Amino acid sequence: MKPWKRKSINRETKMKQKVIFIGFILFLFTAVIAFSNTDEPEGLERLDNSVFENPHRPGAVFAHDDHNEIAQIEDCAVCHHVYEDKKLVEDESSEDSPCSECHSLKPTEENSISLSVAYHKQCKDCHFEENKGPVLCGECHIKE
Amino acid sequence: MANEIETKDEPTIVKEKNTDKAVEAGLARLTPQRIKSTINQVLQKETGPRFKAYVETCMHCGLCAEACLYFLSNDRDPAYSPAGKVKQTIWEMLEKKGEVSTDFLRRAVHIAQTECNVCKRCSMYCPFGIDVAYLMLMVRRICHKLEITPLYIQDTVNSHSATMNQMWVKEDEWIDTLQWQEEDAREEFENLRIPLDKMGADVMYSVIAPEPKFQAGLLYQAATIMHAAGVNWTMPSSPGWDNSNMAMFTGDNEISGRIARAFYETAARLKVKRIVMGECGHAFRSTYDVGNRWIGWAMPPFEVVHALEFYHELLTSGRITIAEKFKKTVTLHDPCNVSRGRGLHDMAREVTNMMCESFIEMTPNREHNFCCGAGGGVINCGPPYKGERMINNKVKAEQLKATGAEVLIAPCHNCHSGLEDIVHHYDLNMEVKFLGDLIYETMEKKIYKPGD
Amino acid sequence: MNAFIDFIMGPMVWVAFLIFILGLIFKMVLIIKDINARESYVYSYLTWKHSLRSIFAWMTPFLPQSTKQSPVFYSISYIFHLLLFIVPIFLMSHIVLINEAFQVSWVALDDGLADILTVIVILALVFFAIRRHMVPEVKYLTSYKDYLLLIIVALPFITGFLAYHQFFFYKAMVIAHVISGEIMLILIPFSRFSHMIVAPLTRAYMGSEFGNVRHAKDW
Ligand code: HEM
Ligand code: HEM
Ligand code: SF4
Ligand code: SF4
Ligand code: SF4
Repeated sequence: MKPWKRKSINRETKMKQKVIFIGFILFLFTAVIAFSNTDEPEGLERLDNSVFENPHRPGAVFAHDDHNEIAQIEDCAVCHHVYEDKKLVEDESSEDSPCSECHSLKPTEENSISLSVAYHKQCKDCHFEENKGPVLCGECHIKE
Repeated sequence: MANEIETKDEPTIVKEKNTDKAVEAGLARLTPQRIKSTINQVLQKETGPRFKAYVETCMHCGLCAEACLYFLSNDRDPAYSPAGKVKQTIWEMLEKKGEVSTDFLRRAVHIAQTECNVCKRCSMYCPFGIDVAYLMLMVRRICHKLEITPLYIQDTVNSHSATMNQMWVKEDEWIDTLQWQEEDAREEFENLRIPLDKMGADVMYSVIAPEPKFQAGLLYQAATIMHAAGVNWTMPSSPGWDNSNMAMFTGDNEISGRIARAFYETAARLKVKRIVMGECGHAFRSTYDVGNRWIGWAMPPFEVVHALEFYHELLTSGRITIAEKFKKTVTLHDPCNVSRGRGLHDMAREVTNMMCESFIEMTPNREHNFCCGAGGGVINCGPPYKGERMINNKVKAEQLKATGAEVLIAPCHNCHSGLEDIVHHYDLNMEVKFLGDLIYETMEKKIYKPGD
Repeated sequence: MNAFIDFIMGPMVWVAFLIFILGLIFKMVLIIKDINARESYVYSYLTWKHSLRSIFAWMTPFLPQSTKQSPVFYSISYIFHLLLFIVPIFLMSHIVLINEAFQVSWVALDDGLADILTVIVILALVFFAIRRHMVPEVKYLTSYKDYLLLIIVALPFITGFLAYHQFFFYKAMVIAHVISGEIMLILIPFSRFSHMIVAPLTRAYMGSEFGNVRHAKDW
C-alpha cells in the first residue's frame, strides 16, 4: 500500500459526516419505538361511517351538539343544505335525511360531489375560513 | 484469491517525489497565477455541457470502481477508482477555482497520465455513462498547458511535431528500412515489392513509427501477407506515414490535429481507396475516432481499416489460406481501442479460430476486457513509472494466468509491449504474438490468383 | 394555524410543483442551448436508435454487467426509484387532496400496503447511508452533502409515516411532512437530483458514441 495515496478527508468533514449519520439513525430509532405507543383515547364520539364499504380510516370524531355550541351555529341549514337542479334552495334544510341520500360513494351525473368529498369540504372549507378547527386527516380520523 | 500471483521483481517503492525530470522541472517553473488562469481557461473555455453534466450529475455512488483495472489491482484502494481519480483532480480544481498547489499538480499529472488508461471501461459501469476518460484527458490537457507532461511521452510529442512521426525517424531512414525489408522478403517471395507512393492503389498501408525503428520484421511480415493476398497496395514515402498519435494522449490537441491532418492528406495525395493500418490500438483510435474530429470530420474522411478487420477480410474471402493450423493453445487479449473502440472483438475470434487449433477465452472478454494497463499513453511515460505499472497490472496478470494458454495474442502494439512486461514481471511463461505473426507462420506461402 | 396550513397545502403546493416542473424544463432548455452554442458536434453522433437502446438496456434489471456485479445495490436502487414515484402518486391521502381540489382521482394504494412501501423506501435510504459509510470506494467520494441529499429524500417519507400513524405531534408532523415534501420537489431541478433528466442525456450520448461510432455495447 502506498500511504501517501490515501488522501485523508479532513477531520472537520469527518465529524460532520458522523454527526449527520448518527442523527439519521437515531431519528429512525425513535420512529420505531413510537410504533408501540397505541393507546386508544376514551369516549370519542364518531360519525357513523357504515355506508362506506371498506373504510380506509376510522370514522371522523364529531360531537355534534358540542361543536355547534362552540361554533355558535343555530341554523341547521348551514350544514344540512338542500340542492335542487344543482342550485341551493334557500330556507330549507335536510337534517332528517342522511347525507348519503344525495351524495353517493362515487360522483354521479346529478351530483358530482361524492360522499367523502362532501364531508371533507363541508368541514374543512369552513374551518379554513374561520381559521379554527381541524383540517388535517388525522385531526378527525383519530386512530382507533 | 484463487490464482495469487508471485512477483519476480521486488515491487518498486513509489516515493512522493516524482522521479520524472520533466514533471519536476515543469513544476518549478509554475507560478500560482499561471496555474489558476490555465486551469480556469481550460475548464471554462474548452469544456461544455458534457463536462458540466459529468461533474454535476455524478451521484458519488462508486459503481464505476468495479470497472477499473487500477482500482482492482491496488487492493481496491479508492484513490484508484475512476470517480476517486476525478475527485482528486477535477473536483478539487473546481472547488478551489483553480487555486491549487504544485503538490496537487504533481499528484494530478501522475493520476491522469499514469493511473488511467483512458480505456472507457468505467463508462460501461457507471449507470449515467459518465466519461471519466474524457475528464482525465481534460486533466492531461491542463498539465500539457502547464508544461508538466512526463518526459518520455513529451519527447514522442516533440518528435511528432518536428518529424510527423513518433520516433525521430528521418525520411531517408524510413525509405531505407522499407527497401531493406523488401530486399529480405524477396528471398522468400520472388518479385515481392513494397510499392512506395503508388497513386490510386486500393490500399494505403500505414504503421506506427516503432515498426521501422525497432520492429522492422513486422514490415516484412505485412509485405508478405499483402503480396501473397495479391493486394494492390502502397506505402507513403513522405511524412504522414506514421499513424500513431501520442499528442492525443498528452492533451496537446493542436499537434494531435496536425498529425491527423498530415496522415489523411498523405492518403489523399496518393488517391488511395482506403487506409489499412497495422495492429495498433491507439493509432486506430486516433485515425478513426479522435484525430478526425480535431480537424472537423465527424467520421474519418477515408475508410480506415484496422489490420484485424483486414485479415478477417483476407481469410474469409480466401485470398489467404491457412496451410497448417497453429498447434499451441492461444488466448486473445481484446485491445480496448478496437473492441470497446470499434466492436471488432467477434472478428478477432473468427480470425483466431481460423488460424489456431485451440483457443481459450479469457474472462472478462470482448467489450468488457480488462485493459493491458499500457495503453492511453501510460507505457509511453517510460521507465520512471514502470514499477508502478507492474503493480497496477496485477489483475491483468491474474486474468492471463487463469487462461493457462501458451500463447497470448495481442493485436495492438501498446498492448503487446505492455503484456510482454506483465508476462516477464509476473513470470507467466507466455509468448506474446501479433495476429500478423500467426498469419505469417500458418499461411500458405503462395500467391493469390483470382479463380484459384 | 389553519391559515398557515392552508398556505402550505394550497399556494405552496402550486409553487413547489411549478418550480419542480418549470425548473426541470428550464434546466433542459439551458442544457440544449449550451449544447447548441458550445458542443453542437454531439448531434453528429447522437442517434435515436442507439440512445434508446442504451437507455432501455440500462433500465432492464440485470442486463448491464455492472448490475450483475452489484445485484444487491441495484435491486435496492431500482425498488427505491420505483417507489419514490409510485408511493406519493398513488397514495390515498394525496389523491383525496387532489380530488377535493380538482375533482379528479385515480386508483389508490391500500393504506396498509402504502405504509409498508413507505417503510421499504426508508430502509432503502438507510441502506444507502450505511453503504456510504461502510464501502471504502463510496466513502472516499462521500461528503456531508451526500448524506444531506439522502436526508432530503427521507424526510417526506419519515414524516409521512409518522403522521399516518399519529404517533406524536400529529399536526406538527403533517406540517413538517408537507414542507419537507415541497422542499424536496423544489430542490430537484437545482441539486444532483436533476439526474432525473440529465441521466437520460448522458446515457444517450454514451450510448450513441458506443453504438454509432464504436459499434460496441455500453452496458
Ligand atoms: C407537496 C405537498 C404534499 C402534501 C400536501 C402532502 C400531504 C400528505 C398528507 C395529508 C398525508 C397524510 C397524512 C395522514 O395520513 O395523516 C401524506 C402522507 C404521506 N405522504 Fe405526502 N404530501 C406532500 C408531498 C409528499 C411527497 C413529495 C412525498 C414523497 C416523495 C410524500 C410522501 C408521503 C408518504 C410516504 C405518506 C405516508 C404514507 C403512509 O405511511 O401511509 N408526500 N401526505
Ligand atoms: C427518472 C428519474 C430517475 C432516474 C432514471 C434515476 C437514476 C439514478 C441512478 C442511475 C442512480 C445511480 C446509482 C443507482 O443506481 O442508485 C441514482 C441514484 C440516486 N437517485 Fe436517482 N434517478 C431518478 C430520479 C430520482 C429522484 C427524483 C430522486 C430524489 C428526489 C432520486 C434520488 C436518488 C438518490 C438519493 C440516489 C443516490 C443513492 C446513493 O446514495 O447511492 N433519483 N438515480
Ligand atoms: S478509463 Fe479505464 S483506466 Fe481510466 S478510470 Fe476508467 S476504467 Fe480506469
Ligand atoms: S458510477 Fe458514475 S455516478 Fe457513480 S461515482 Fe462513478 S462516475 Fe459517479
Ligand atoms: S494498449 Fe491496448 S488494451 Fe491497452 S489501452 Fe490501448 S488498446 Fe487498450
